[in-house]
Amino acid sequence: MDTSFLVKDLNLYYGKNHALKNIDLAIYSKSVTALIGPSGCGKSTFLRTLNRMNDLIPDVTITGSVKFGDLDVYQKKTDVIDVRKRVGMVFQKPNPFPMSIYDNIAYGPRCQKNYSKKDLDTLVVKALKDAALYDEVKDRLNKSALELSGGQQQRLCIARALAMEPEVLLMDEPTSALDPIATAKIEELIVELKKQYTIVIVTHSMQQAARISDQTAFFLLGDLIEVGETKSFFSTPKDSRSESYITGRFG
Amino acid sequence: MLKHWTKRKLIDGVFQGFTYFFSSISFLTLGLIMVFLINQGWSLLNFDLITYNYESNTYLASIERFDDPCDCSPTIALEEGVIYSEKWGIGVSEGLDLLGQPSIVIDYIHTDSPFKTLTNKSSVGPETFPLLKEYLISKISYNDRAASFARRGAARLIDELDSSNSIYEIEVTTKGGGIRGSIITTLWLIGLTLSFALPVGIGAALYLNEYAKNNQFTKVLRSFIEVLTGVPSIIYGLLGLAIFVPFTVALTANSSHPATGGNIISGALTLAVILLPVIIRTTEESLKVVPNDYRYASLALGASKTQTTFNIVIPGALPGILASTLLAIGRIVGESAALIFAIGSLVRDEITLTDKSTSLAVHIYSLMTDEPANIALSSTIALIILAIVFVLNLTIKLISYRFMKGRLGAQI
Repeated sequence: MDTSFLVKDLNLYYGKNHALKNIDLAIYSKSVTALIGPSGCGKSTFLRTLNRMNDLIPDVTITGSVKFGDLDVYQKKTDVIDVRKRVGMVFQKPNPFPMSIYDNIAYGPRCQKNYSKKDLDTLVVKALKDAALYDEVKDRLNKSALELSGGQQQRLCIARALAMEPEVLLMDEPTSALDPIATAKIEELIVELKKQYTIVIVTHSMQQAARISDQTAFFLLGDLIEVGETKSFFSTPKDSRSESYITGRFG
Repeated sequence: MLKHWTKRKLIDGVFQGFTYFFSSISFLTLGLIMVFLINQGWSLLNFDLITYNYESNTYLASIERFDDPCDCSPTIALEEGVIYSEKWGIGVSEGLDLLGQPSIVIDYIHTDSPFKTLTNKSSVGPETFPLLKEYLISKISYNDRAASFARRGAARLIDELDSSNSIYEIEVTTKGGGIRGSIITTLWLIGLTLSFALPVGIGAALYLNEYAKNNQFTKVLRSFIEVLTGVPSIIYGLLGLAIFVPFTVALTANSSHPATGGNIISGALTLAVILLPVIIRTTEESLKVVPNDYRYASLALGASKTQTTFNIVIPGALPGILASTLLAIGRIVGESAALIFAIGSLVRDEITLTDKSTSLAVHIYSLMTDEPANIALSSTIALIILAIVFVLNLTIKLISYRFMKGRLGAQI
């Protein structure tokens, strides 16, 4: 399998707090990588290093290298907007903009260049179809996105990210604010999307990680404890700490 | 157990009583102010007050149809004491002029009356002007008989008018005491001040909230702005007098209307400085309310910081910004101390941006410093100020509602 991200010797500090310690991880393209671990272990922080969202937090220091294809994400001359265009992100809480459904999806493309109305229409419809939302909202594209249910809003956020035609989709606990039915829909969608996109997902649900991911990485207190193919990780964890975590003995 | 329960209920009741008591005091106070203003000023409130000039003018005028009487009877029932000339279609009564001298007041003019439109013979003022109710007649002279004078009484004037077939000229005094000029000045002040203060204030708030790092410098800056909100406005008036008046005088020295002292522009600049801290504070509060989730979502979609600020943050903060605009308008309309210095308190009818004039609030001030103070007219102007603020308030609420409805859909 091709490597999408190659992370080498990554260290991250919030001020003096050493939040990520010597992370080495390869993320394969067109597959789902799940990041698991207890709260505060650094998995979300790690996810945000992949599209440089940590830049927004003051007082962050990052050392080591994150290679995305040929692009060195943290090199000085790398354009952060270019990284974020190619690496989309979906957040924990559904956060559609207070605009119409159409404008939400069109927001990203519109920020890049002026599309013709026709191109934009095609783009919006395709993104909504890819996110399995089109049939539910096709009659009310001009209605406010905030009128959608929580699960629909989250799929709208996925569609919004897909409209940028990214290569990678980062998901930070995308189903933690949703009910089981909406969660199941998103999981189905993730399995469908991995045919085209590389997906990295942070999750607190080990069942979810086991159900949808191909590779699982276990973080603990800023260390990457173990990474491996999901099936073998959950059946025969190599590290005793991973075993304790997945059997629910701590965390 | 029961004792404990009753005690708690008693304490709750006392505290609740306090809130009811104090809220009713505040409502009563506000209500009393309204009652006072309406009681004092309602009788003077009419449309003429708003449209009339402050100063009265005396015109000597001729009539185009000077020998063409209309022979028309009044279309409405005339009030008691009004004497009507059927021949010329004009009804007058005896009244007082602005100086309190007995004079003849026009009460009714028939639409076909030759007196409807007058041609001005004096060098100042408009070429033709309509004769309006409540203008004063001081003299009418005729081509075919001796002139009538107002001091001889209304009945005699109408008698003499009826006996004539050809009118030479009429001397009328327009009704003064209107606040048209002050209303125009107030509107100018609102427009100019907002166009100075809003961009600067919103820009400063954007810098503080979106771009500036949270360090010692911005902390000092913030507390400095907070202090400025509490500075008495008369101090800003001094600033206006010391800086903006000479500034505008120098700036307009070569223009067609050079400023010589306080003027509307210097007043608006002074008001803008007064408003800046208020606008910065309220705008910053409304920027803080925009969820960070929106900013992150926008940035993660590859939008630049500027695009995020202008496409997401400012629209999200717009209701708050509009609310701060409302506060600002209230301050502009209500400000008087600073304006007395920065514009002056001379009531004017001809409004030029580079000349002295007064806002409505200062108009009240100059009415109240007259001897004797005119409390009734002041109350009327206060009612008009309230009406202006109320209308602007409604307009902005409506804009805000329409805007939010598009964005939030049924959630509003």
